[in-house]
Amino acid sequence: MIARIARHEWHRQRAGLTFWLLLAAGQMTVAWLAFAQLEAFADIAPRLKAGGATLGATDLVVMPTFNSLLLVLLLGTPLLAMGSIAGEAHSGRLALWLASPLSASRIIVGKVLGLWLGLLPLVASASVTLAALGIGVALDPARLALAVAAMLIVSLWLAAVTVWLSSLFDRPAAALTASYAVLLFLWLLDTFSGDATSWRTWALLPHVQPMLRGLLRAQDLTYFAATALTALLLTMRGLDRRRGRA
Amino acid sequence: MNPALHVVNLSLGPARDRRLHAIDFDLAHGERLGLLGVNGAGKSTLLQLLAGVLTPASGEIRVDGIDIHDDLAVRTRIGYLPQRLPLYGELSVDENLAWAAMLHGLHGDAAADAIDRVLHQVGLAGVRRRLAGRLSAGMAQRLGLAQALVHAPAILLLDEPTAGLDPLQTDEIRRLLTGLDAAISLIVATHLLDDVQRLCSRVLVLDGGRKRGDHAVTADADLLAHFRTAPSLTGTDAR
Repeated sequence: MIARIARHEWHRQRAGLTFWLLLAAGQMTVAWLAFAQLEAFADIAPRLKAGGATLGATDLVVMPTFNSLLLVLLLGTPLLAMGSIAGEAHSGRLALWLASPLSASRIIVGKVLGLWLGLLPLVASASVTLAALGIGVALDPARLALAVAAMLIVSLWLAAVTVWLSSLFDRPAAALTASYAVLLFLWLLDTFSGDATSWRTWALLPHVQPMLRGLLRAQDLTYFAATALTALLLTMRGLDRRRGRA
Repeated sequence: MNPALHVVNLSLGPARDRRLHAIDFDLAHGERLGLLGVNGAGKSTLLQLLAGVLTPASGEIRVDGIDIHDDLAVRTRIGYLPQRLPLYGELSVDENLAWAAMLHGLHGDAAADAIDRVLHQVGLAGVRRRLAGRLSAGMAQRLGLAQALVHAPAILLLDEPTAGLDPLQTDEIRRLLTGLDAAISLIVATHLLDDVQRLCSRVLVLDGGRKRGDHAVTADADLLAHFRTAPSLTGTDAR
């Protein structure tokens, strides 16, 4: 049943204009940035080689572009997620979800996976674009694979967090605003927290950057798993509360 | 034999600010019941409770003897048409029905057969590929009704099924409802006396979240009198 709900959500997204606009804008942005990085790399590559530097296209083209993809995902996911619960409540469709025999856990997991499916084409197209650079320049396949895995993990995490934020509101615009506020806070927390380790623990970038540098750390995986699971549980509780059961 | 629906001491909201107060009634198999009341009387709230959208503060709702909050599966025996049509405007008629079928556990051939059946029942087979957002008000209402019927429920809950429709569309919806299988129990929330007169054999009168009357609907029943005696309208409410 979870798979069916996910498929429904994925289908619903594809039927809307937002998904296609986001996919087109995301692809254009990522492709443009990748080629801009590539052009810059082509300019400095001879000097790097002459100086004996070990930095290659993976460091100077692929990873900065994945950083840009992260920003695109951060900006784009709330646009798709705002319809997940807030949009259903605003349109009156949530009544049918709540009246159904489906448990809150099935509904929420299905919706999160459906949203994630909607983000995958963007991650896939960016990954294929960057992998295709390997035809002309030398890339590190292991780091490329880890970076793709990082994007898959982050997009699933984003889906869980933004669906939770969507569940807090009855208006999609309010859910969108709250999502941007929370994600911007987590994005900038790293910059403003300075040496305060406890705050940096919650920041998003310190958990993504190591993976883009080729480091797979348990603490980063724990951060994403713990926060995503918390978001899922809070969303289920929120849906049960709407049913008046919590 | 259990009644199709057994409602006992149903209340909603905190004790000091009840939205519904101790509602009791039974609905027999195949019975057609109207919920009559002015705007704000509690009709939609009562239907939301019966559909399982909301959970009561006290009391119980049993379908064929099973509490709808203890066993979620029993909800497949209930069809619900909210006042605001639960449609995805960007999806086709077929896809909206597939979603409603999925919510009640129908998929594959069973869902396809159920969708075919219900499309013909409500007369939308010719527009099954049209986007729901491009349907007329009457067609959209029929699609909402089809969503409520797609899983062949034993109890059908309809919230203002003819609200906002022109006379021809209203007549079409009433014709559909009177043509339903006689085994289906029906509850229609409405403030339109004509709906009650034509569709129901019994009427519960609600006012201020309380049950104020339970009457048989006969050809010569003066339904307007039930409105006139509602305390909130006559200033005699002793709550």
